[in-house]
Amino acid sequence: MTAETVVGREPLAELSFEGGEAPPAPAVEAGAGARGRTRTRQALSVAGIGLYAGFFLLPIAFLVSLTFKTRDEVLLGRFFTDKPTLENWWKAFEVIHLTAFVWHSLLIATLSAVLTLIVAAPATYAVVRLRRGEFVGSLALSSYIAPPVVALLPLFFLMRWLGLLNSIPGMVLLYGFMNVPVAYWLLAGFVRKIPAALDEAAWIDGAGFIRTFVLIDLPLLVPGLVASGLICLILAYNEFLFASLFAQDESVRGLTVAISLFQGDRFVNFGQMAVASLVGITPIYVIALLFQDRLIGGLTAGGVK
Amino acid sequence: MSAAFSVILRGGTANRSAAAWLMLTPVIIGLLVFAVFPSVYVAGLSVTKSTLGQPFKAWIGLGNYRWLTVGGDSTFLPSLARAALFSFAVAVVELWLGLWLAVLLTSSRRAGRLLRSVLLLPLMTPPVLVGVAWKLLLAPGGGLVNGELLSLGLIDAPVSFLGTTPWALVSIMVADVWQWTPFVTLLAYAALRQVPDDVVEAAMLDGAGPASIFWRIQLPLTSHLLLAIFVLRLIMAFKVFDLVYVLTFGGPGNSTDMSGFTIWRTGLREFDVGLASAQTVLFAAFVSIVLLPLLWLHRRVEEHAS
Repeated sequence: MTAETVVGREPLAELSFEGGEAPPAPAVEAGAGARGRTRTRQALSVAGIGLYAGFFLLPIAFLVSLTFKTRDEVLLGRFFTDKPTLENWWKAFEVIHLTAFVWHSLLIATLSAVLTLIVAAPATYAVVRLRRGEFVGSLALSSYIAPPVVALLPLFFLMRWLGLLNSIPGMVLLYGFMNVPVAYWLLAGFVRKIPAALDEAAWIDGAGFIRTFVLIDLPLLVPGLVASGLICLILAYNEFLFASLFAQDESVRGLTVAISLFQGDRFVNFGQMAVASLVGITPIYVIALLFQDRLIGGLTAGGVK
Repeated sequence: MSAAFSVILRGGTANRSAAAWLMLTPVIIGLLVFAVFPSVYVAGLSVTKSTLGQPFKAWIGLGNYRWLTVGGDSTFLPSLARAALFSFAVAVVELWLGLWLAVLLTSSRRAGRLLRSVLLLPLMTPPVLVGVAWKLLLAPGGGLVNGELLSLGLIDAPVSFLGTTPWALVSIMVADVWQWTPFVTLLAYAALRQVPDDVVEAAMLDGAGPASIFWRIQLPLTSHLLLAIFVLRLIMAFKVFDLVYVLTFGGPGNSTDMSGFTIWRTGLREFDVGLASAQTVLFAAFVSIVLLPLLWLHRRVEEHAS
């Protein structure tokens, strides 16, 4: 039996996590009173869910409403405005080099996520399936426990010595390796779900270990790689502490640093700040909404084994 | 036949190790550069007088540590305690709210599907922008919270939430809860779904209400997973920096100074890199001491559960 036929049988239907798509539990037959109670409960839980949704949406909705307000209207502290204006939108792009900042962030985040996967995927396979170097896995995970500020100053001196401060390759390397523990943790769940029999069959057929990994396991890991890659991309896009020290220069400055610098700027008002924030979050929100099943699958695969 | 098989197996074992170590090489290099080197370097810096321009200027032994513990410093040790208070508080609140929402979601799957997209928004928002959004919401002039409280007549004058003492820390906690409760919800929901449906249905048929189903079936069966979520959030909460930076910058006074931020300020605003390194070592030790018992407990519970 060749490897292709093994994969061709598509044995991994359960590999993709599904969040809420499961068919609803069969209704329990009960008396009219019980049914009434169930309906009340349903209504209560929908109301509860609505409250949560309001809480989660409010700050973002408020940002949206701010973008349509003039400086004077902002001070009223109301949600709605009588005279909406679009002035903030064009002014924000004029005052802030928004597109450049978002572009830097996206470029660094994407490249670093690719690097993270290239480093983490073979390593995860080696530990989980080949059962070698378990301590490397534990060390990677325990390095995640340490607050990042621990590495801030040493890496600053290292990057300065290497001439990597304020450079795109420097930030890509930094985030690429920094997110490896997260990717390892997420991918381990996906590797475990691939039946070991597949690898063993390939080994017995004479395929080498690396060949088996590349030809058999990698294609099956694609959902996991996409999910972990997106999560690492988002982590890199959102990072601030290292960026604020290593990527201050305008030529590499990303969104988070740019926004933080406008905090004290008198030329930027609340409305423009809100525009900048929303524009900055948009790429991530688009990714999140397009890939929500993958993302949720990835997040929960690591956390709940 | 069996001889050939054993040759393959023997060759296989050697190859297997070689292949595995080859695949592990990049991670090992990464760990040496990004984990081992910083730890050794920071420990080295902590026993010296160092600045950003001139690391390792002079050896001063345990001077930095003495200053931080029994010397005149009055900000660092409180910042450790505050970081612990913050982390436990937000982890508990997030687990509580997140679990509650997850239970609501299991009982109403259609609403859950709609809520899923909403849940992702706070989770994906850069913490810096979470800070900005809450700063705008809480602003004394123009913030929605003050505006609404004023128009409802609950307060007479705007409250400076980020500028007064208990409220500043509470505000950071609220922003953190806003950002991370969805994460806990998603994980808790996945955990709850591991409880077999028929167990819950059998209990319902026997007349158990939602409360007793939760306390007697769902909670005991998922406790090891929930503990893992709690520990994970605790680990993450100790890293808080962005929210402090944007919302309060440690103030008013030092009332929102948490170690991650304190270290940053010592090293990069006061340029005392040696002292910041000593703070870093103490912070890392403190976090480990707090987390190790929990990680140990988690391992015990997990062994018990499986």
